[in-house]
Amino acid sequence: MNLSYRVYHVFVRNLVSYKRFVVPTFIASLVQPLFYLITFGIGMGAYVGLFGGKPYLFFLVPGVLMSAVGLTASYECLFGTFVKMIHEKLYDSLIATPVSAEDAVAGDIAWGVFRGLISGTLMMAVAMAMGVFPVSVPAVLLLFVCMIFVGVLFGSLAMIVTSLAPNFDFFNYYTELVLTPMLFFSGVFFPLDNFPAWMKTFSKFLPLTPAVSISRAVFSGVYSTALIFDFLFIVVLEVIAFTIGVKLMKRRLIK
Amino acid sequence: MSSIITAKNLTKRYGKFTAVDGISFEIQEGECFGFLGPNGAGKTSTIRMIHCVSPVTAGTLTVKGLPCSIDNRTIKKTTGVIPQEITLDVDLTVRENLMVFSRFFDIPRREAKTRVEELIKFVELEAKRDSKIDQLSTGMKRRLLIARALINQPTLIIADEPTTGLDPQARHLIWQRLRQLKSQGVTLILTTQYMEEAQQLCDRIVVMYQGKILKEGTPRTLIDEEIGKDVVEIRISQDQDEKLIGSLAGFSCGHERVGDTLFFYCRDGHDIRKKLVELDLPNTVHRPATLEDVFLKLTGRSLIE
Ligand SMILES: Nc1ncnc2c1ncn2[C@@H]1O[C@H](COP(=O)(O)OP(=O)(O)OP(=O)(O)O)[C@@H](O)[C@H]1O
Ligand SMILES: [Mg+2]
Repeated sequence: MNLSYRVYHVFVRNLVSYKRFVVPTFIASLVQPLFYLITFGIGMGAYVGLFGGKPYLFFLVPGVLMSAVGLTASYECLFGTFVKMIHEKLYDSLIATPVSAEDAVAGDIAWGVFRGLISGTLMMAVAMAMGVFPVSVPAVLLLFVCMIFVGVLFGSLAMIVTSLAPNFDFFNYYTELVLTPMLFFSGVFFPLDNFPAWMKTFSKFLPLTPAVSISRAVFSGVYSTALIFDFLFIVVLEVIAFTIGVKLMKRRLIK
Repeated sequence: MSSIITAKNLTKRYGKFTAVDGISFEIQEGECFGFLGPNGAGKTSTIRMIHCVSPVTAGTLTVKGLPCSIDNRTIKKTTGVIPQEITLDVDLTVRENLMVFSRFFDIPRREAKTRVEELIKFVELEAKRDSKIDQLSTGMKRRLLIARALINQPTLIIADEPTTGLDPQARHLIWQRLRQLKSQGVTLILTTQYMEEAQQLCDRIVVMYQGKILKEGTPRTLIDEEIGKDVVEIRISQDQDEKLIGSLAGFSCGHERVGDTLFFYCRDGHDIRKKLVELDLPNTVHRPATLEDVFLKLTGRSLIE
């Protein structure tokens, strides 16, 4: 794998072009999670009452936060990267410079992570405004580290899909059949305790589940050693996804 | 002069399809070397291997003594590429395109700013400095592609059909700029389908067809060897051929019938001119031989798909 510091140059290219889209993307990043928090948190929260001794919103925020990071990074590396690759031919001009195909792809993943962090941060601000806080400052730092890892993981997974996509419609399979259902099996909206055993096992292997567990601990202050394994699981999955994603993209870019 | 690029039995296959079929050539430092050929001849495939964005399937290819491979950043650092397709960054302005590109070559900010201003002047885009790419005409985009290719002060420039789709003004401006670069000692590789372009710019050319090199030489020698000095085109029905060929037999001209036209290729057109006046045929054109005649003779006059 021919990676170098030039990943940063690619990231900066995205930042320069982003200037023009800041406002619309900020709004987009806010609206969807806000929608979840308000409809589920406040609307449904009124029915479900207390959840582990706290309002439902406290249960909801950590999960929605992580899914916002993962989804934003995914969209960026699906649609964003596809447009740059096929429509704008940006990758073609990048690989004619000392920037390698790997640098270019990793730069786009890094960009997806950054966009994910923006979504996560905005989400957190909204949650705080609604009265939901992480337990401490170190907890916030832990949360950010976790968000970065989740961003890389979902960005890399999206790259695998993008590297295989013949056209835009192909992404629907991934977003509708994989990403959206995953939200429901990862403990974002409700606990998994009442699922049958096989479902619980299945959900353990979904990439979002461990991230939601860590996030929830950060907001509740209830830590356990299982979180270390959750974290390791994310890291291992991420290394695999990143390696495959970059390799497949390189295969597509270089003919 | 020493050779800067050497290709031996260079081959490119996409799956089972052979796009470049074992070609060999050498390009000298400081010359302008042209690849001519109809659509699909393998020109782009060849030069993409030279600037290391496409892997060599078989054979050897070296640039400045270094073997070409996808990960050869050293070659890419000193090469400027004007691609066939317009691959500008549409999200950015003219100036930003150049500034962002300068990063990829690790050019320090200060230095980059001066170079960008110089290059914008060089390609006469001062008025469009802060315009978005979609506000540029095709000619302007092509000029910006040239500026972008020069940001790293390359010693080797690769231009893939740099003037396709441009009006004469824009085309001449680009020729001027390319000649200017050559006079500064840059080695230039050009692909084109415009024979005039090749004649204007190239010291040596190869004619490619179906992945192979058919002929190599200077534009002048190719015309002399393949065609001669003059061409006579007579638009006349086919049943007259025998009579005409007979009456022009004494002038040692080659002839060819293509569609509605009978072509004569002549070493010396002086005498035949008199004869033509004598015959007083309608629809006759008598003109100097050009590279286009060579091209058509070598690659066939029918449409190639
Ligand atoms: N990525 C690819 N995959 C499969 N076939 C390809 C690919 N790129 C080019 N080809 C094929 O290789 C042949 C040579 O293409 P190439 O682009 O090198 O031709 P060219 O001489 O540059 O033509 P043009 O004048 O139209 O630009 C063509 O038949 C083309 O269809
Ligand atoms: Mg071509």
